[in-house]
Amino acid sequence: MFHSTQGVQGPDPVAFPSGEADATAGGTPILELRDIRIEYKGHEVVHGVSLAVQRGEVIALIGPSGAGKSSLLRSINFLEQPSAGQILVNGQLVQGQSGSRGAIARNKSLAAHRRDVGMVFQQFNLFPHLTALENVVLAQVHSLNRSKEEAVARARQELAHVGLTGHEDKYPAKCSGGQQQRIAIARALAMDPQLMLFDEPTSSLDPELGVEVLNTMKRLASEGMTMLVVTHEMHFAEDVADRVVFMADGAIVEEGPAEQVMLRPSSERAKTFLSAVRGR
Amino acid sequence: MELLALLSSGIGQTLGITFGALALGAVLAVPLAALRRSELPVASTAAKILIEGIRGIPPIVWLLLIYFALGETDLKLTTFQASVIGLGIVSTAYIAEIYRSGLEAIPSGQFEAADALGMPFGAKFFRVITPQAATVVIPPLATFAIGLLKDSALASVIGAQDITFRAFQEAQANLNGLTVFMWAALLYILLSIPIAALARYTGSRLTRKVAA
Ligand SMILES: Nc1ncnc2c1ncn2[C@@H]1O[C@H](COP(=O)(O)OP(=O)(O)OP(=O)(O)O)[C@@H](O)[C@H]1O
Ligand SMILES: [Mg+2]
Repeated sequence: MFHSTQGVQGPDPVAFPSGEADATAGGTPILELRDIRIEYKGHEVVHGVSLAVQRGEVIALIGPSGAGKSSLLRSINFLEQPSAGQILVNGQLVQGQSGSRGAIARNKSLAAHRRDVGMVFQQFNLFPHLTALENVVLAQVHSLNRSKEEAVARARQELAHVGLTGHEDKYPAKCSGGQQQRIAIARALAMDPQLMLFDEPTSSLDPELGVEVLNTMKRLASEGMTMLVVTHEMHFAEDVADRVVFMADGAIVEEGPAEQVMLRPSSERAKTFLSAVRGR
Repeated sequence: MELLALLSSGIGQTLGITFGALALGAVLAVPLAALRRSELPVASTAAKILIEGIRGIPPIVWLLLIYFALGETDLKLTTFQASVIGLGIVSTAYIAEIYRSGLEAIPSGQFEAADALGMPFGAKFFRVITPQAATVVIPPLATFAIGLLKDSALASVIGAQDITFRAFQEAQANLNGLTVFMWAALLYILLSIPIAALARYTGSRLTRKVAA
């Protein structure tokens, strides 16, 4: 079979030459989701979502509970296995995906992909038996094969970056929720991710602690980090996000520049949702 | 005192059988527990049947089975080795269930965080999961070890020369059973104390780190 570098469209796992996506908008997307479907025990909850994220973009993913926001976000690094669809990073299909059963990435390239994609969870998921510093060091040593010294130096730097100098030797249980979430952010940043995923990073925090985390995220955004953030913080979506994606019932209902979606939504679903959350 | 010296000559085999079976079980229980937790229903059901099967047979019967089964073959096993294998099989099933409860106590977020960081299986297992599972696993494992120390007395039935075997011989020879077995009882208690202490120490050290 000829390996054409031009015009190969469709389900074949062929990496696009960078020229192709340039034609659309702003260069090859750093992340592209194509027709992602997710099901749990045969019940489909995400019905073919496509989304392109450009380098440096901050996208807020909003929508009612059960919309499939977390499922979609988690499928990006295969914590949830999509039942169909494709995931491309810098135009490269994440390896090992094929067939109608969709993306199956279960090899070395999966680990490499996951290192490129930082993830911050609602429940922090820090390693409780390790100090803040050790939490940030561990994967650097075991996933990136950095030397212990290099990893420690980098961990100190990232902890400083999130405002936690002086807390290096504390165990997570001795830290506030806001501190824990910032340790988790530092842990992800130390891997030099190309993009960061956040799943309701402030939802389990008291408002005043959530602010610490939101400020950290704002700074990351201003430093040019590409971020995809599932959030119920409408201020974050309005003020920090470049683009807002509104999901309901497993599909993207509306997306556009933050200002447009947040202030002048066109769909009834988005209007209802936004007035309901704002009314609270 | 001569009596105590005689009984003490059985300590080696008692401890040998106990720790031999414990080590065998601790190792073999790893794949069994992994199988038990497998997402493949066939694998987890097979593991479950195996575990229930092993536990459904009295340890003494296991010892006799191994003893007679291996007697039929060319393998020349000592009574000591047969005891370690027999009780090791029993231990495997119990320890697999202990491991499983340890793994189940770890929130799925811990596995997810390690996965999301691209950690290879070995690092995830030994640096993230095992240290946390250990705090959950050590207390029941210590309880099991003490139980096994006592169950090791069953090995005397197939002729392993442990404390109980020596006591039984002495009692038959000199008709001083009560005294002999009181000393034997004391010896078992003394042996179990360091196991319990060690377990408590390790357990508390590990827990202190993780607890709030
Ligand atoms: N592990 C799972 N097993 C079965 N069903 C699931 C699982 N996870 C999610 N679901 C279902 O999938 C649908 C989408 O869930 P998801 O968590 O992705 O929504 P969400 O938009 O993140 O909601 P929320 O705002 O409440 O976090 C829901 O109906 C949910 O019940
Ligand atoms: Mg969610």
